[in-house]
Amino acid sequence: MADQIIMAFINGILLGGVLALLAFGLNLIFGVVKIIHMAYGQFVMLGFYLIYSFNAIFHIPLVPAMLLGIAAMALLGVLTQLLLINPLLNAPRLNQLLALASLIIVLENLAMIIWGADYRGIPLTLPIINIGEVFIRSSYLIAFIGAIVVLGLLYLFLHRTYLGLAIRATAQDLEMAEGMGINPRIVYYVTLAAGGALTGVVAAFFVPIYTVHPHFGSSFTIMAFVIVVFGGMGNLLGGFISAFIIGVATSVAAVLYTNELADILALILFVLVMLVRPQGLLGVRA
Amino acid sequence: MNGKLGLKHIVLGLVFLAILLFPLVWRSQYVIHIVTLVLLWSFVATAWSFMARFGIVSLGHGVFLGIGAYIPILLFNFGGLSPWIGMVVAIVAAVMMSMILGYPCFRFGLVGDYFALVTLAMAEVGSLVVVAYREYTGGSLGLTLKSSNRSWIDFQFDDKRAYYYIAMIFLLLALYLWRRIGKSKIQMALTAIGESELAAASLGVNVIKYKMLITMLSAGLTAMGGVLYGQYVTYICPETVSGVSVSLSVCFKAILGGMFDMLGPFIGTAIMVTLEEYIRISLGTKFSGVSEIIFGSAILVLIIFLPRGIFGSLKDLMVKKKHIERA
Repeated sequence: MADQIIMAFINGILLGGVLALLAFGLNLIFGVVKIIHMAYGQFVMLGFYLIYSFNAIFHIPLVPAMLLGIAAMALLGVLTQLLLINPLLNAPRLNQLLALASLIIVLENLAMIIWGADYRGIPLTLPIINIGEVFIRSSYLIAFIGAIVVLGLLYLFLHRTYLGLAIRATAQDLEMAEGMGINPRIVYYVTLAAGGALTGVVAAFFVPIYTVHPHFGSSFTIMAFVIVVFGGMGNLLGGFISAFIIGVATSVAAVLYTNELADILALILFVLVMLVRPQGLLGVRA
Repeated sequence: MNGKLGLKHIVLGLVFLAILLFPLVWRSQYVIHIVTLVLLWSFVATAWSFMARFGIVSLGHGVFLGIGAYIPILLFNFGGLSPWIGMVVAIVAAVMMSMILGYPCFRFGLVGDYFALVTLAMAEVGSLVVVAYREYTGGSLGLTLKSSNRSWIDFQFDDKRAYYYIAMIFLLLALYLWRRIGKSKIQMALTAIGESELAAASLGVNVIKYKMLITMLSAGLTAMGGVLYGQYVTYICPETVSGVSVSLSVCFKAILGGMFDMLGPFIGTAIMVTLEEYIRISLGTKFSGVSEIIFGSAILVLIIFLPRGIFGSLKDLMVKKKHIERA
């Protein structure tokens, strides 16, 4: 039992890395565009399907297929901004949320028609690393290291480039940013493109871990919400830390009890944080 | 003005008569089945709009629908208890659940999109609970109602038109309550709260009390819809009665028709269910997702261009025309 818990703990940390990446995109979009991207997990699902199609149907080698998938998802992010978010920028927040929620229905059914209800995946056999009594799947390890590297690159992008500065400025104070000559529309497009690309990256890391089906995304949308809210909406550091907390907590709870109970626990935590501390554990009340 | 109103009443009366008499004239089981579904889901969509039209948009009504669907079937399958009693138990349970879930939300002042998100999470918890207790509920595989031959007592009828009329009575009840609320103090209080909670509170409106009232009513009615769905279809699973997808589907039907008008949810549901069936028949089950895609895209376009829904916008258009004519 103790071994199992240690293993769950390690897996939770490894998964936490990918979850941190997943939540980062959602958080960035919320922080900058002030929109809750309800269909975020469905974007991951679509990215997964695209990579699968490029690889299994068009016979493109796996790594270029992943890069193509990431590029396609970035484009989809831009399209979402252009067709959906731009017309709703000044609408009530609830309308924005419902519009993006209806995107869930469109995307899931689109996937159902194109790829069918079967589970699809790219068969990969990656070795299992064995340290004493503890087994670690290298697919998890690759995803963890990859996620940390991408997060590092994103940090550099946000803090060392002009565009990154513009994004942070827009997130902090839209009017002041406009006053400084930043065009928020361009910042929004860049943010949505980055968010879209991130769903592609997450999908690429998921390829060796999961198989995909049309309803694959919903649990990740909710998981990303849980993490983002837990760490404070728009708070990138908070999201990073809470991804690991949630990753470990659900992973250990799944071993101790059942998968469903682990998810229920995470959701109840989400509701409680929303009610009692909506600014998140690390957030500052506005 | 009076002439116009009279015309409206005549049209409504004719529609009502048509719905009332149609199963007696038209013998097609299939068409009756479709209209039963329309009546049933518009009842649920109307119940949802009770809250939503005052700006309390819940994405978690799957919880109440699930309570309504599961409790009577579980009580009947395992305890042999009549679903009529099961229905009462389910309604009480749903109302109590709405109090447990609603009170903290209203107490902590959760509004708008935050409220929607929290209720969405509750819907997910609901379907996870059903899956977790799979020894009783059948988990994701679903639960089938045991058949019985004690017709009335056990809420099972050989003549499917019985369900049709029950659905109709439910819908009429919901519409009647809608009108009653429209004429009462609750309507004014909730409209004020919907516009500005702070302003309403400062005028002495008990915000939490009125929000709780409408939520409990909406939850109870939704549970009734769940009971009828379970008894009519006789097979339920988390996907169809308790999860996020059904919660969204109910709210989108209402939005499609227009949730601010009494008949909006009914019209939205009628359009959606007919479209679904039409595409299922003309394109086959493989393309059953097409109707959902059209539905989802329609909702998107509606939210962007006509936030008041199809029926609501038509009504607005007519009212505007009237004003222009008068001017």
